[in-house]
Amino acid sequence: MRGNSATRTTLAAGLALVFVLPFIALVLQAFADSWTAPALLPQEFGLRGFRDGFAGGGAGAALVRSLQVALIVTVLSLVIAWPAARVIGERRLRHPGPVILLLAVPALISPFAIGTGLTGWFVRLGLTDSVGGLILGHLVFSLPYAILVLSTGFGSRLRHSEEMAASMGLGSFRRLLMVSIPEIRPTLAVAVLLSFLVSWSQYGSSLAISGGSPTLPVVLLPFVGSDAEVAAALSVLFLAPAIVALALAGRAGHFR
Amino acid sequence: MLAPAVVATLLLFGGALAGAVEQSFTPPLGGGLESWTLDSWREVLGDPTFVDAFWFSLRTTVAATFLSACLALLIATLMRRHSAGMRTAVAFPVPVPHLIVAVVAVLWLAPGGLADRVLGSLPLNLVRDQAGLGVVLVYLFKETPFLVLLLLAVMGRRLQEQEEMAAVHGIGRWGRLRWVIWPAVRAPLLIGSMIVAAFVFSAFEVPLAVGPNYPPSLGTYALEVTKANAIDGAGQAAAALLLGAVASIVFALAILGLFRARREPSER
Repeated sequence: MRGNSATRTTLAAGLALVFVLPFIALVLQAFADSWTAPALLPQEFGLRGFRDGFAGGGAGAALVRSLQVALIVTVLSLVIAWPAARVIGERRLRHPGPVILLLAVPALISPFAIGTGLTGWFVRLGLTDSVGGLILGHLVFSLPYAILVLSTGFGSRLRHSEEMAASMGLGSFRRLLMVSIPEIRPTLAVAVLLSFLVSWSQYGSSLAISGGSPTLPVVLLPFVGSDAEVAAALSVLFLAPAIVALALAGRAGHFR
Repeated sequence: MLAPAVVATLLLFGGALAGAVEQSFTPPLGGGLESWTLDSWREVLGDPTFVDAFWFSLRTTVAATFLSACLALLIATLMRRHSAGMRTAVAFPVPVPHLIVAVVAVLWLAPGGLADRVLGSLPLNLVRDQAGLGVVLVYLFKETPFLVLLLLAVMGRRLQEQEEMAAVHGIGRWGRLRWVIWPAVRAPLLIGSMIVAAFVFSAFEVPLAVGPNYPPSLGTYALEVTKANAIDGAGQAAAALLLGAVASIVFALAILGLFRARREPSER
């Protein structure tokens, strides 16, 4: 019995390693100035990948643009999603199925298809090659996730707390700050992170919309297969928010 | 209260679909929809590369979705009694963008890559291989943890108690899997698989990074026709992407239909 349990633990630990180890190699590659076969570890460490990646300023501008777009998309997604999520979470809809389907269906369609379809409109509106166009394009994908995640935080418990706060004379803004947000904090944290990550990792829609103002993934892809060190260096920067997301989601889970 | 979200979705998503439809019917040299044409659709449907791209995308989608669902079920069953640390490690690829997983795949699986160095040599070529094994492998690595997370969310204490109760009543391991575990995990597994299938079918950063030069995936086909054909490439790309979008929705509906058909009569 004990042997069986030990086997399962070893197997589980091995699996955990399979999912983490490849990323450790990515970090090593990012800081390796020389890592040629058959060596299992880098022969020389350095920052060439970062230097070459940022040479010319393209990657730096793309990094700033990605960050700017993802932050604005996150805020907009939450503001737009909040009331819809409340209606869905409090089960106030008689037929929620079609509404949820309408709000969730963009997540099932290719981002490149959405980006290509939006490009024609953006040309007419003067939004191509602009941060505004990217924000609108990414919003299509981050909004469904924000609504679906936030809706799980709303329900009768939160409504009772808000009603109690209202009966004690708290205005709607103070109720939001002092009751709603603190109570929904773990779900809100997940919604913030997911909205941010969905925008941050957009490739297809950014490629179609961004034109001459690319985001970080659009700058990164051409290096895959052509310069492993630059690709790894840009990937490490691209990976950083995901690690922060995982850590914060873990912390948010502990608040429950 | 639904208005802001519904209006934003209708304007942006509806506008994108309308824009793609308009582009696919617009004559190559302009002229607007009043002189609409089916040329782009004819070109795409008569193009053998599109047919190959469609089958390639279908094949990799079915393989990646089915295999990641099976693996997720196995891993979730194994991991459910283990520590939060191990679960977090397995969940690590979930927030990681697909493009980074593709970069990692090239680092490990390319000829002369780390897997070659550790194992001596890989028995198969997994980067840019014609069968798309590398593409499937990248999706397995990325999507299996996502499905594991969905499954672990329903494999909590309550399910354990139900299993223990079933065991007390003399139900064996397979009986418990069939009558206790499967009804609990079926919905998240099928809905998760629906999301995976729809995504894999039309995504293109992974095939672009590790997929074969030929056949392309649907997404890479659309990108290639746009780049190769400055005059009518955009219309053809829009037509190909719309066909891909329809296929993604059909996938989603098929999986939902499977879910409904498999529900026990008592659950309906």
